[in-house]
Formats: sequence, C-alpha cells, structure tokens
Amino acid sequence: MLTTTFPASTRAARRALSFSRRWNSTSAEPPPPGGHLPSIATSKVLRTTRETALRTPGIVWTDEDASGPSREIVGGRETRKMNTYQAVRDAMSIALSKDDNAVVFGEDVAFGGVFRCTMGLAEEFGRERVFNTPLTEQGIAGFGIGLALMGHTAIAEIQFADYIFPAFDQLVNEAAKIRYRSGGTYNVGGLTIRTPTMSVGHGGLYHSQSPEGFFMGASGLKVVIPRSPIQAKGLLLGSIRDPNPVIFMEPKVLYRSAVEQVPIDDYELPLGKAETLVHGSDLTLLTWGTPVYHCETALHMLASPGPSLEAHIPKSLRSAKIELIDLRSILPWDVETITESVSRTGRLVIVHEAGMTAGVGAEISAEVQRRCFLKLDAPVKRVTGWDTPVALQYEKFHIPDAIRIVDALVETLTY
Amino acid sequence: MIRNLKLAAISRTASGSVVKARKICYTAARRQEHLPNSSSPITPKLEFFNSVTGSSEKQIPTYRVLDGVGKPIDGAELPEIDEALARKLYETMQLLPTLDNVLYNVQRQGKISFYMTAHGEEATIVGSAAALAMDDEVLGQYREMGVLLWRGFSLENVMNQCFGNELDTSGKGRQMPVHFGSPQHHFHTISSPLATQIPQAAGVAYALRRTPSRRSRSIAACFFGEGAASEGDFHAGLLLASTIPSPALFIARNNGFAISTPSTEQFYGDGIASRGPGYGIDTIRVDGNDVLAVISAVREARRRCLEQGRAVLLEAMTYRVGHHSTSDDSFAYRARSEVEDRKRIDNPIARFRLFMESQGWWNADEETELKARLKANVMKAFKKAEGLKRCEIGELFTDVYGGEQPWNIKEQREELAGLLKKYGETWEPWRTELAKFKNKGQDLLGR
Repeated sequence: MLTTTFPASTRAARRALSFSRRWNSTSAEPPPPGGHLPSIATSKVLRTTRETALRTPGIVWTDEDASGPSREIVGGRETRKMNTYQAVRDAMSIALSKDDNAVVFGEDVAFGGVFRCTMGLAEEFGRERVFNTPLTEQGIAGFGIGLALMGHTAIAEIQFADYIFPAFDQLVNEAAKIRYRSGGTYNVGGLTIRTPTMSVGHGGLYHSQSPEGFFMGASGLKVVIPRSPIQAKGLLLGSIRDPNPVIFMEPKVLYRSAVEQVPIDDYELPLGKAETLVHGSDLTLLTWGTPVYHCETALHMLASPGPSLEAHIPKSLRSAKIELIDLRSILPWDVETITESVSRTGRLVIVHEAGMTAGVGAEISAEVQRRCFLKLDAPVKRVTGWDTPVALQYEKFHIPDAIRIVDALVETLTY
Repeated sequence: MIRNLKLAAISRTASGSVVKARKICYTAARRQEHLPNSSSPITPKLEFFNSVTGSSEKQIPTYRVLDGVGKPIDGAELPEIDEALARKLYETMQLLPTLDNVLYNVQRQGKISFYMTAHGEEATIVGSAAALAMDDEVLGQYREMGVLLWRGFSLENVMNQCFGNELDTSGKGRQMPVHFGSPQHHFHTISSPLATQIPQAAGVAYALRRTPSRRSRSIAACFFGEGAASEGDFHAGLLLASTIPSPALFIARNNGFAISTPSTEQFYGDGIASRGPGYGIDTIRVDGNDVLAVISAVREARRRCLEQGRAVLLEAMTYRVGHHSTSDDSFAYRARSEVEDRKRIDNPIARFRLFMESQGWWNADEETELKARLKANVMKAFKKAEGLKRCEIGELFTDVYGGEQPWNIKEQREELAGLLKKYGETWEPWRTELAKFKNKGQDLLGR
C-alpha cells in the first residue's frame, strides 16, 4: 500500500501565522489569499502554558492514589512543549516502561514510524518490544488480538486509517466480540490500534479518510479521537489501559501543527466523555479531531466577520453564544453531555470530515431528536464531507471548513 | 527494489561516470554472486520454476508409520507409546464418533440447533492433542473437540455448550453449538469466521515467547481446514509467525472438501504443505488417518517450534467422512459410494484398533465394553444437559464490554425489560421462549 510521509506542514503554519495576524489586528485587512483558514498554531483550544496544561479538565494523575490529595493540587508537576506526535510517543514510552507486557508494532514503526510517533522507542526498549511487521493489516490486527488474548498489552499501528479496512474482519468479528462470545472467559482488553486519520491537505482518496463511522456499530470496541497533544497523551494512555479493545484515531494534520505544554507525568483522560471547550446558550456545535479548529475559526468569524463576510452574517447573530463541544469518544459517545447542552441551547450543528450518509452525525442527530424533541428550535444540521471519495485537487471544497460551518450556524440560528 | 535503484543512482552520481558505476556494480555482483536483497545465485539460463506442478514425482511425500491394517511399514520408526497412552488414544478416538452420532441425531430431532461431526478425522485431532503439552495454547476452527476431550473437558461441558444452557462455560449460550472454549484447558473459544485464528495464533505464540514462565516450554497450536487456508489470514498468520519468530504450530486438516468445494477447486498447487517453504518454515505432510504418524510428526514439529522459536507447518491428509454440518447433505456433490469406500478402506479408528490388537492391548470384549460404556456416559450427559434451563435472560446484555456497561446497552436492557412486562405473558412466542430461561426472565422483570 502507498505510504507517504508528509513533510512538516510549514504551509499550514504560515497560513496560521498570517491568519493570527488578521484576527489580532484592529485595522481592516483583506482576508489572507487562502481564505479563512484554521489557526491551529494559535488556537485558544491549545494549552500553551504550564498552568493551563496542568489544569486540563478531567485529568487523572495515575501516579496518585485515589485516597491522595485532590488532583487540583498540581504543584511540583512539570510540562514540556510537545506537538501531537511527540505526545503520542511520550504516552507509548510511559506505557512501555510501566508495563513489561506492552509491545508496539506495525509497519515501519522500528525506525520511528512514517509520522515519527515511535521515534527512539526501539532503541530504548529493544526490538523485541518495538518491531516492524510484514505489510499486512489483517495480520497486524490478528497478531495484536493474539497477544491480548494472553493478557499482554498490544499497541498496534495501522499506517493510515484508510488502510484499516483489510483488518475490519479481525476488528469487528473478532476483537469486538471475543469477550461476549466466550462468556467473559477470554478478552482482548489489552489491544489498542492507533491509526492516523482525517485530511492533510493533499492526501487524496487514501490518505484522508475518517472511518470512525464504520466502527461506530461495532459494539465491543471503543473508538477515540483526540484533538491536541495533551488530549492525545491522556486519551492514549487511557485507551491502552482500558479493559476493552480501542481504536485510537490520530488526526494526522495535527501531528506537527498542534503544540501544547504537555504534562510529563503519567496521566489519563476519561474515555466516553465529551469536553465542552466554549460554553454558550444559543447553539451547540459538536465536533471532534481536526474540525475542532475549523469550528473555533468559525466562531471568530461569526462574532466578527471580516468585510467580505459582513453581508452574510446578520448583526443580530454576532453576539450569539455558541457552545463548542469536542466529542473525543465516538464509541461509546457521551449522550449525557450532548443532550444536556442541546436541551439548553435548542440548536445543534454537528461537524465531521467523513461523508454524511450513515456517518457518526446521523447517529447522534437521531438520538438527539428523540431525546430533545420538545427542546429543539431548529432541525439538527450536519456539516460533513460530501458523500464522495476525498478527491485530491478538490479537498478545499470537500472538507467542512470554517465558512461552511459559519453558514450552518447562521442557517440554524435564523431558522 | 527502490532501495536498489537508489544505490545505483548514488553510485552513478558519486563516480560521475555511468561506465565506472556499471563496472563497480558488475564487480560487486561477481563478488557476491547475488543481488543485495536476495541470496539467489545468478544464472544465465532462462528457466521458469515450478516445484509443484512441474513434475508429479516432486510432490511432497506423506509420512506414515502404520499401513491400512495397522502394521508398521518398512523402515518406519514407531513413536514412543505405552499401553496406557495407546488405550487413552483409542478411547478418546472412539468417544468422538459416539458423541458425534448422538449429537448428530439429536440435532436431527430438533433438540439442538446445529452440529458438526469429526467423522474420519479422529486420528488427526486426537493424535495432535496427544503430542502437544496439556498447556500448549490451542486455537481451532470447529472440528477439534477431540483436543478438549483429550485434555479432560467433560462430556457435561460438551453437552451444556451444544444446548446453550445455564451451565455452558464456553459462552453462556451465546454461540452456536460446537463453538467450545476453555481457558482452563488452554483452548481458545472457537469462532465461525474462518482462518481468523491463524494470525491470532502468531500473536499468542509471541506472547508465550515473551512470558518467562512459558518461554521455550509452550507453543501455540493452530488448527484449520484446507479451505480456510485460502483466506488472506492464512497468508498473514504464517508470514507473521515466521518473520516475527513465534513458536506457532500450524496444523492443516486437509480432508478434501470445504463444504461442497473439492480441494481441486481450492488450490492448484501441491496442497497446503507446499506453501510452507515459501514462508521459510519447516513443513511436513502426514497421513492423518495414522494416529501414530500424527503423534510422531506433531511431537517433532513441536520440538522444532520450541528450538527455533519459529512457525512450523503440518498438513494432515484425511477424508471428511461426515457431512460438512447438519445443514449440509454431502451426497448432493459426492457419491455415497465414494464415502462408503473411504470408510471401509481407510478408517483411522479401525487401523489403530488392529495395531492395538497386534500388541495384545485390545480385544473384542474390551471393544464391546468400551462402546457400551461410552454410549452410556454420553447419554447420561445428554439427558442431564437437556433438562437444564438457559442462563438468565439478562446475560444477553453482559460481557459486551469490560468495566462499566455503556449507556446504550443499559438503556436497551431496560427497554427489553419494559417490553417483557408488557408482552411477556401475552405474546405467545415470547411466553414460550421465556419459560426456557432460568427464572423465566425475572432478572429483567423484577428490577
């Protein structure tokens, strides 16, 4: 299968820089040449100071015992600036050093991985614990299941989420069902499958996909997608230690572009829990992974549209209070947080990169309309990739970018 | 290949002369006599290679020690076997058709939903089981109940699984009959998707290698049919267990049929065995109807697994005497006479019985006694299992996840409880069915 290492997204960083200038400037400037683009590098969602990093909501320090001091006391803990791939590597390094039964394997992981997520792990922990497999996704998944059946911790990598389909049988028919079919006598809780996901600017059909929806019906599996380095480390450690097989999808465009101060200690973030990033009362905006940043940009655009957008955004909407939620776990998803929010706001917009038909948004909107029927003031709106493959030269018009999100917000607020 | 091209490009640039670079490459090739990514010798002859269909004499031979009437063949070395072991082998082999006959007929009467016999493959399965250590991890396909019986999995356990009753330790009545499993007997729960256990066996074997108490002591033994070997997972599993050295023994039961598909439509090469060397793994083909040959071959294969820490492949040649399953009538695609001939000419149990008799270890009286005893034991277990209830109906919803059950499963359990309260007494199909469950659904209704 085609495997490509994507160079540092310097373009993205440049764009982000020009973008941040635009938003921090008080003088009216024309929009940047690329249009309104996500500002990952300057996102407010990212925690760039030690203080904020250590106060990440829901963080559980795994070196603290339950009877110890409150986790709000963070004195003495350190953080280090990391991008997402470094945070992923850090999580695996902790997992390997604390658990002798943990192994890391997949295609090209021994030299550090095509996205550098396993850099130096083979040298540090030895080739018996960090090793290459032949190029066979069904084999990688099956091998991981075998290890986990014996109570070992298997951290497997599928090089791109686009190539997880050969392993679909092993994951859906085997991994997901082993505990159930054996009456609880066998399980593969030790299995975690990491895989890079979502679009990257030029990935075309097979380096861009978001297949989380295909796994959403595979009861027995958990599916987790982080949005940032702190989230990646905490959710990955949580996934590795969860007593169930977990598919951990890492948005690949964030590997280098998203940078945070990441706590260096061992910590976990909870699976199955959404996180509210911006509180609001007029509309709930729900997303996960890369589109978190498109949504953030869209919120800025709604509040203060540049001259070119002013005509499209009625003045009355600019002060709308939008609640932004990162779903984080696709399966099981946090129905409580979402329905509580929608019951308050009366409006819901769901954003994801995968196509619309039978995507994750379909499941969530169906459940929300059932639970919040009397509270809804507008139809649930989905902003998603089109029901087409991800065509290379058309990506800008395919992904749900900030302008499409703004448009959906306006439509839903004015319904 | 890309690596080679790169090297050539580099040498060309470095020398600044294509001619000079060629000379270097030529010298290097002459010195090594092979290409950088292979140890293949260089030849000027244009010759295609086919070790399998090129010549019939080149077919991989079948290892056998006893002939059709239980006599050692010339030059054969019998495995070490004493009377006690021989008797256990024979009794377990005889137990299989006893169980098969009862359960096959029970299915025909509609008392269980499904069954698969092992008729004709008793020697392959029981012989393999006898040659493995009791705690070698076994991953099977579905026709390997004999391994469990050898290891002491009780007749009650067999019946409870097939009936899916409240004492089913294999899966709480969730899986179809013959999908056994028992961690205590180191037998991984059977699943229906074919060949998925093959790459899993590689992972299990690697875990054994990484477990200090089992390293160099335990192997993973993986059974599958010749039809399953056509799945991609066969390729993946053998590839993995040879490349990432893992002590996995792959045992192919080549019984000539995958449901209706004869093996001639399954592959064009020399069976499954011919594929082993392609993966760089030691391989043997054995007469699967000769229990002593199976024992010798599996013992040696197991020894090699442990010694090399790598995969070994064994192909056991047998014949599927029974139908594929109770859902299959095999006379739709093969002649009844063909089956009858095979049963008469080459019955693995009869062959071993003749050997036992030649050793003075068995006689007709013992045969009568054994058959009566086995039948009685099987019927006793059958009657016991038949009368038992199923698990509590709430078990429909447990074990999907470890740890806390997700909200959707909790809610759906409540939804079924509500529906049962509403319709459990009035909707006849449910009322009849609920009566078969332990506590008649009170675990859901009561809460």
